[in-house]
Amino acid sequence: MSWVKEDVVSFFQLFCIKVVKTGRVPQHIAFIMDGNRRYAKKHNEKTAAGHSKGFDKLSETLKWCLDLGIPEVTVYAFSIENFKRSEEEVSALMDLARDKFQRLIDEIDQINELGVRMHIAGRLSLLPEDLRKMVSQAMLATRYNNKLRLNIAYAYTGRDEISRAASLIVDGVKNNELLSDDIDDELVSHTLELGEPELLVRTSGEVRLSDFMLWQVSNSVLYFTDVLWPEFTIWNLLAAIIHFQRHAPPIKDEEPISDSKLQFLEKLEDRRWRDLEKLVNC
Amino acid sequence: MLSRLLRQFLFTLTHLVVNVLVAVQNVYSRFWAKEDDFPCNQGTENDIKVILKHLPNMKKKPKHLVVLADTSEHSLHSLALVVIWSLVAGVPYVSFHDITGELKENEEKLFLEVEKCKKGIPGCIKWSKMPNLNGYTNGTQAHTVTVNIFTSHDGRPKIAQCIRDIANNKVSCKREADEFTAQELGDALALFYPSIPDPDVILYTGSLCSAHGFLPWQLRLTEFVQLSTDHCINVNSYVGALYKYNKCDQRFGK
Repeated sequence: MSWVKEDVVSFFQLFCIKVVKTGRVPQHIAFIMDGNRRYAKKHNEKTAAGHSKGFDKLSETLKWCLDLGIPEVTVYAFSIENFKRSEEEVSALMDLARDKFQRLIDEIDQINELGVRMHIAGRLSLLPEDLRKMVSQAMLATRYNNKLRLNIAYAYTGRDEISRAASLIVDGVKNNELLSDDIDDELVSHTLELGEPELLVRTSGEVRLSDFMLWQVSNSVLYFTDVLWPEFTIWNLLAAIIHFQRHAPPIKDEEPISDSKLQFLEKLEDRRWRDLEKLVNC
Repeated sequence: MLSRLLRQFLFTLTHLVVNVLVAVQNVYSRFWAKEDDFPCNQGTENDIKVILKHLPNMKKKPKHLVVLADTSEHSLHSLALVVIWSLVAGVPYVSFHDITGELKENEEKLFLEVEKCKKGIPGCIKWSKMPNLNGYTNGTQAHTVTVNIFTSHDGRPKIAQCIRDIANNKVSCKREADEFTAQELGDALALFYPSIPDPDVILYTGSLCSAHGFLPWQLRLTEFVQLSTDHCINVNSYVGALYKYNKCDQRFGK
């Protein structure tokens, strides 16, 4: 199964997508894809099969988001806490990721044609060397795409992301790239890897964030649904978007960011790309 | 052109239908609540009976309960009652997240309202910002509730302030590797907040679920539980929320 599944939308579904699209569509949507293991249990399958079904559902969802014109999607794929799961399950999940990223690199033309830009957010130093190289390669290869930005939170927790951003900022002050007076919540928001989603969807009936995008969802619409992730359908997605349309806070104009902050952020971005290139080439 | 109009029409129609369905559901649930619950909703004494009746069914009680308080919807009296019910139920920490910014200004009034409602109920209510005035306990069984009021200023801006203080060397933060770990930054952040446990449950009213800028760091595992769809806070919705909290099994990572 490839990353963006084609031919999953019937004519009627496409029509409904177009109707919903008439209204305001979230510019960034985040998913906590919960329920793969419960799905496997329910259908008497192995846990790994559940996770694999979960990935298939992600590729379908990406197609729906492309059709809806949502420019940014963030998914919670693997938490730092997940390393505590059984060795068998962790290694199966790593294998699944290896398989999918290899596939992505093989199919890079299709991804580039669709204009999908990949970003893997998390403490990548926790990943096995080969996987780390693969995800860096995927990010570099899709760097200039701009139709849909797909952020995959991998080896990620929200607290860890804030801590890493704090390190970058403290170092910035130490190296005279930044004045300590410039440090405010706006700067922290921009230093974090992930932007603010307008809508967060969590499947399988759990009603907490589980350390996902803690900073970013401060003012987002949270939507919890009972359906298990592998059973998530276009109708569940449209229901979430209609809920968003009913309750979304008004769009705030973003204030322009000061030059000194901008310079610092650009330096960070440059450094990040250089680090990725180093990783791939070594 | 025609298809555009048609789409626009269907879009409006869809939202109209959803509005009607939601309205019908609200009327139904309010009617149902009236039939069933109103007779016993006459005073604090009855509230206490209701809570004590249901309490044995609860397998777990939250240690720290947060209410997203919207002063344009909730009266000080109903917020004060949440403190009283929590005192009876044995929830040791109750916090209000002040969405409008008005509650913080009226902290004194809320304090007096809680005192008024508390009359005759054993236990002790502590306010983080005020000296202990009412610290009497009645025997060994009495509970204690600590009340805090937070605003969105305690959320992101405070974390940014912590990072600024670390950068200025005003606050020390251990750093063993290249980057801070969540544990290390968490230790530094703890200096900026009262030492209370992370919230277990956050109660909201109305159909929109949002954190409204509530403390992002502490929100990690907090369950979002809806108190009521119509912004009404009564003892039945409170007990209902505790039941909902009990159904959530806490499973993190594993």
